[in-house]
Amino acid sequence: MDAPHMVGGPAPVPGRAALEVSPLPGGRSGIRARGEISALTRPSWEQALSELARRHAGVSYVELSDVAFVDVAGVSALAVTAMNLPDGRVVVENPPPQLPRVLEMFWPGLDRIEVAL
Amino acid sequence: MSTVTTREAFVHPALFYRTEQEYTRQTVAFLREGLTNGEPMAVAVPGPNLELIKAGLGSDAEGILFLDMTEAGRNPGRIIPKVLRGFADAHPKGRVRIIGEPIWAGRSAVEYPACAQHEALINAAFEGRAVTILCPYDEERLDPQVIADAKVTHPTLISGEGRESVSDAYDWQAVVSRYNQVLAPAPDAAAFSYGGEDLPAVRQFALAQAKLLGMAGERLMDVELAVAELTTNSVVHGGGRGTLALWAEQGQLVCEVRDAGRLTDPLAGRRPPERGQLGGRGLMLVHYVSDLVRVHTSDDGTTVRFYLSL
Repeated sequence: MDAPHMVGGPAPVPGRAALEVSPLPGGRSGIRARGEISALTRPSWEQALSELARRHAGVSYVELSDVAFVDVAGVSALAVTAMNLPDGRVVVENPPPQLPRVLEMFWPGLDRIEVAL
Repeated sequence: MSTVTTREAFVHPALFYRTEQEYTRQTVAFLREGLTNGEPMAVAVPGPNLELIKAGLGSDAEGILFLDMTEAGRNPGRIIPKVLRGFADAHPKGRVRIIGEPIWAGRSAVEYPACAQHEALINAAFEGRAVTILCPYDEERLDPQVIADAKVTHPTLISGEGRESVSDAYDWQAVVSRYNQVLAPAPDAAAFSYGGEDLPAVRQFALAQAKLLGMAGERLMDVELAVAELTTNSVVHGGGRGTLALWAEQGQLVCEVRDAGRLTDPLAGRRPPERGQLGGRGLMLVHYVSDLVRVHTSDDGTTVRFYLSL
């Protein structure tokens, strides 16, 4: 969220919720995530997405069946990453239900992302 | 006034009508003027009034976007980003012309302060833009206070007979302040105080309570998303902690977040970000999924309440 509330500037967010990201097994290019994508895990999610963009060639996969929750900023990071790719698309597999909901709300018709349920 | 200023000035008249005939005559004349100028046009008014305008326009209605405001603008907080800016931003060349009727006789006392603030904030949201927004008010059925407020939130007034005048009461910031009302805590709410460590737990608490209170289906996910945004905001910008409370009231689920932050930007959550921008959608999501959002902010802290029909 933007910074509508101001009390002496942003405070660091301590973390307990975890997010593990690993490369996809097999020959497919992309990542698999486990945990939750939220303010507590934002740095590892954004880092994984920049890595994904760097290795992107044609189609990249993001496997999210072990992700229970993703917030608006988490979906935004994915959408902006996909929009900035030079070509091709990102296939998101088995995302939590918030992901298609937020994509439809803020990026209707974004063809850089394909959601596979 | 120079030609350039005129072309870029925002025009925001209120129309006070008493009969269907006055309504139809004035709105149709307004839209016909836009047709003559070749302006893109949208009409967002309650369903029965949509029909009056369509019937009055006949074949001229073609090419105009019609929205039922009781759905598109159920939550007055999403009218600026979704309805008004949504349309204006999609037509960036030249002037756009919109009829927006956010306040109708069925609006509740809980909704009205957010409606009045919305009307006031339109002036800030469109300052300097080549946009014309006509806001009709049903003088016959609306409370006199609503009519008085409309004269404060609109720089120009149009009577049912089409007489135009400058509002000498115009002072939109006064309405934003007047309806920044204290929200007294609900007596029977389930509450959860959280810090940064508790963000996942507070989401789970919200889900469980919302289910207990009768929320189901896709709207449970909306509760979780909106609670995540507001509680994260408390932790990052609102003093590091806050309290979430949930209860049911008049057929609606109410979720409330209190924290020590202060909302300094009155347009927060109503300014659509660029498609490629990373942040700036949290509070807007709360507005998009809710039927109503009420906010009270002061030096002592901020309370945000969002309502979803059960």
